[in-house]
Amino acid sequence: MTGALSRRGFLGALGQTALGGLVLTVLPREADAKDEKDKAAKSEAPRVDKPPPGFTPNVFIHVGSDGKIVIMCHRSEMGQGVRSTIPALLAAELGADMAHVTIEQAPGDPLFGDQNTDGSSSIRNAFVELRQIAAVARTMLVAAAARRWKVAPESCHTEKSKVLHAGDARALTFAELADDAGKLPVPKPESVKLLAWKDLHLAEQSLPVIDAPAIVNGTAVFAADVKVPGMLIAVIARPPVVGGKLVKFDATRALALPGVKQVLEIPAPTPPYVFQPWGGVAVLAENTWAAMRGAKALALEWDLGKNASYDSQTYKDELSKSVSSAGTVARKVGDAEGALGKAAKVVQAEYHLPHLAHATMEPPATLAHVTEKHCELWTASQDPQTAREVAAKTLGLQTFQVTVHVTLLGGGFGRKSKADFVAEAALLSKLAGVPVRVQWTREDDLRHDYFHSVSTQQLTAALDDKGAITAWRHRTAFPPIGSTFNVAATRPGAGDLQQGVTDLPLTVPNVLAETCEAPAHVRIGWMRSVYNVFHAFSVNSFIDELAAARGVDPLAQRLELLGPPRKVSLSELGIEKLANYGAKLADHPVDTARMRNVVERVTQAARWDSRKQEGRALGLAAHRSFLTYVAVVAQVSKRADGRIAVDEVWICTDAGTVVNHERARSQMEGAVIFGQSIALHSGMTMKAGVAEQHNFHQYKLTRIGEAPRKIHVDLVESEGLPGGIGEPGVPPVAPAIVNAVFALTGQRVRELPLEKHGLV
Amino acid sequence: MIKLRINGEERALEVDPEMPLLWALRDVAGLTGTKYGCGEALCGACTVHLDGEAVRACVTPMRRCEGRAVTTIEGLSKDGSHPLQKAWCEQGVPQCGFCQAGQIMTAACLLANVPKPSDEEIDRSLAGNLCRCGTYTRIRAAVKQAAGIEEGSR
Amino acid sequence: MRCAMLVAMSLSLWACRSPPAAGTGPTQTLGPGSPDALRSVEAFASIPEPAARSAALFSEATKVFLHPRCVNCHPNGDSPLQDAGHVHDPPVARGKDDRGVPGLLCTSCHQDKNLELARVPGAPNWHLAPRSMAWQGKSPRELCEQLLDPARNGGRTHEQLIEHVSHDALVAWGWSPGHERAAAPGTQEQFGKLVAAWLQTGAACPEGAVR
Repeated sequence: MTGALSRRGFLGALGQTALGGLVLTVLPREADAKDEKDKAAKSEAPRVDKPPPGFTPNVFIHVGSDGKIVIMCHRSEMGQGVRSTIPALLAAELGADMAHVTIEQAPGDPLFGDQNTDGSSSIRNAFVELRQIAAVARTMLVAAAARRWKVAPESCHTEKSKVLHAGDARALTFAELADDAGKLPVPKPESVKLLAWKDLHLAEQSLPVIDAPAIVNGTAVFAADVKVPGMLIAVIARPPVVGGKLVKFDATRALALPGVKQVLEIPAPTPPYVFQPWGGVAVLAENTWAAMRGAKALALEWDLGKNASYDSQTYKDELSKSVSSAGTVARKVGDAEGALGKAAKVVQAEYHLPHLAHATMEPPATLAHVTEKHCELWTASQDPQTAREVAAKTLGLQTFQVTVHVTLLGGGFGRKSKADFVAEAALLSKLAGVPVRVQWTREDDLRHDYFHSVSTQQLTAALDDKGAITAWRHRTAFPPIGSTFNVAATRPGAGDLQQGVTDLPLTVPNVLAETCEAPAHVRIGWMRSVYNVFHAFSVNSFIDELAAARGVDPLAQRLELLGPPRKVSLSELGIEKLANYGAKLADHPVDTARMRNVVERVTQAARWDSRKQEGRALGLAAHRSFLTYVAVVAQVSKRADGRIAVDEVWICTDAGTVVNHERARSQMEGAVIFGQSIALHSGMTMKAGVAEQHNFHQYKLTRIGEAPRKIHVDLVESEGLPGGIGEPGVPPVAPAIVNAVFALTGQRVRELPLEKHGLV
Repeated sequence: MIKLRINGEERALEVDPEMPLLWALRDVAGLTGTKYGCGEALCGACTVHLDGEAVRACVTPMRRCEGRAVTTIEGLSKDGSHPLQKAWCEQGVPQCGFCQAGQIMTAACLLANVPKPSDEEIDRSLAGNLCRCGTYTRIRAAVKQAAGIEEGSR
Repeated sequence: MRCAMLVAMSLSLWACRSPPAAGTGPTQTLGPGSPDALRSVEAFASIPEPAARSAALFSEATKVFLHPRCVNCHPNGDSPLQDAGHVHDPPVARGKDDRGVPGLLCTSCHQDKNLELARVPGAPNWHLAPRSMAWQGKSPRELCEQLLDPARNGGRTHEQLIEHVSHDALVAWGWSPGHERAAAPGTQEQFGKLVAAWLQTGAACPEGAVR
């Protein structure tokens, strides 16, 4: 993933948005004029040639002659606070007063660069480029002022939407300068000077949550809130088993229900599933309730297909078998098998985590308005450009004939990167001849998810006669995400293991990691922190088990395995390459000093050393993911009725430079609750190919009464390159809780959720 | 035809008496602030007030609302000035925001009945409102702020 | 399941206290019958001794009283039960009036009848029986004594007891629980008649454990 914004984004080209009422158009620059006019001529999309008066150096920033500043947010807002962060970053670099700024959500368009809001990458992948975008605008406004004042540009700076001249009281507002600035040539982004980070003053501010006022008064717009005249609402009855096909259906009862207008069949997808519509029968109605009733009233006969034998209990046994013999080597240092053969003692454990569902509070929804030559979409998508391509392909249109408006997302966690629910809406609107909103029910969302992989991990360590750890072997089996894109992917790939297995520093002389067979029987997708969830769970649990086996403190054990402060080389890891979340290893090394630091800070904050005297059961876990280091201590106790309670959690995060401390803190708090759900309650199981959990009474999530009394968030101050924020908090939480349960009860839980064992 | 008051305004909606209030509000009355999260009264995203009592609109049939007053999040205040709305913004409670209308409406009902709830009372009354983003600790703080309870007290 | 076991136990001799209304010598019974079916009053006419017949009628009625559809709303604790008897989810609390807590009353979710699409059960006046009328985990004998004690039966006379079990709309829900929940055995009418017959034959309590 390059993440770099396209040069076209800086140069500007025809781009338009009407969401929120402000129409913003950037005139084509000379270099692109011919292409853009040709494209526009082919498109049926409405064009506006005259931009509002002012200065628009690129598709991200418009400074109006009336003083109103528009900043485009090109990434999807799903609660991580990107709309509260990127515009604030741009405004700070520009020197604009946020009181003058209106934030517009960018449509899906490559003009805006990489819009795939995924992988905790919105800041880390474009930190410099975003600032350059704003710096270009600042440079031009300063140049315009300097011209007027006949002074050197270096003697001017921007502040609160004004350009100020050092040394005297001269000032010009952006409004006053906008027209002049617009006449100047646009400098290359690489050529403009960025402000010093401290001069942006972002670190000390508590940035406002931009959408909070609209959220608390009910005006915030999510996908299902968008209406267009003449639209119908569709609820789809989908194949109960992955790969199932419709044999026949009878819509008589459905069509007889008041409000039901059409019933349409959606063709079954063929593997690999990617983002194809899921197949089934859609009931289109004037209101959602009628559509839901209609879907229930269909008489349906399915050929369930070969996955009808998928049973989670049987599959768990298969995974266990899979990890009990050698797999494909992904990491090798020394001779782990040899060392295991000579070991004085072998410590081994097998960890199993079930499928997990994203379970965003907002089930997927999309409104599509398809006409002969155009498709307009309003969708809660994390990846609007892919949504655009997928819709175009589904409809047999060209990409430029599709417009994607991105609404707020009621949660994403990776579910809404997949464009299947967009393709469904596009297809149905085309078939129905009217605009169609596809509404996924909660049952649809849980039963037909792109599930997080089920997994089994076998960890084995060799101890010599002095108790030193001489070998570490990690076998991992899980149906990979690749299986959704390629039917031949029946075991994890080496690249998949960079999430917590092959990037793990271990001061052990013999290390081996292997991937084992695990074919997929459902659609597998990525979910908040992805494979790190189970790799961090097993590694952190195993470190705790080793500590117990060797009679050492878990903190000491962890630091011993981590080893001295260093940037770990590939050869030390025993691998040839590391995807490293798309970043260069030189920029974002695996840095044991940073890991040690968060572990030490969090254990100090949690009073680790005095826990036993104080009678507190604590569990420790730490994990690096998405270039960020996180350590967690959880404290548990027993309620009066014997159930485990998570009393208090400490989470220390080193994410390099943090742009929005306030939202970073909220992400860590949220990650704790998310991880707590994984540890305590959540699990998707399949029986006869059908997902057993249909709604929240079966797929359980943490509720307010279970939330820790206090979550202590510690963000390490750093001016290093930014790492991810949205995901890294998750992986260490579940193992910290389970390790705390061991400290409290002596019971070692190796299979989640805790609910299975009657502990909660 | 079901006649009722919604956010202080008399409305007459041509709906099946069994239609859940949620869909009448969203699809017929044009008020989309109340959200669909589960349809089974398990998540609380659809919470509104019916004659001042918090109800889950996804399971409340329109016939139960006939002649009565419904308040949705849009009607909680004219201008976002309800103490809960203010506290929610000041504490930075929302993340994705989808559950928050339901959280606020439930909390508003609690505070209308129990002006200074204990921590336990807050957790009990909001037990039916799920938040997948995990904003619970801030929800608690915002309810206490709106109630004028000092942070640190139980 | 515990209910069936208690029903079975109630029909055998337990050596605790001898209640005054019980007969001496071997108790005359019909045997437990099927837990899923409710026998009519007439079936018990074959028991000649009135106290034994009375106790047997009550025992039959406990197939309903101690069924999950009824026990779930007569819990001991702060929370109703659900399905086979696990704690209600979402977690809800009794509140001071047995109707829930502010913001989360029983009627915040439960309507006056079951619903077409949603599984949440409904009946008029959905609420919990007060703690004094809890009978979760009680033996048939303990339940019997409780039902006859005005301090623990809502101050009801025998007529009012009969009225409640025979005609109360919330009680009626036990036989039409909806959405694949197991109904109480028999019908409300049969149940009402059994209870009436029990009361009218001296309201004898079956032998059994009293804790």
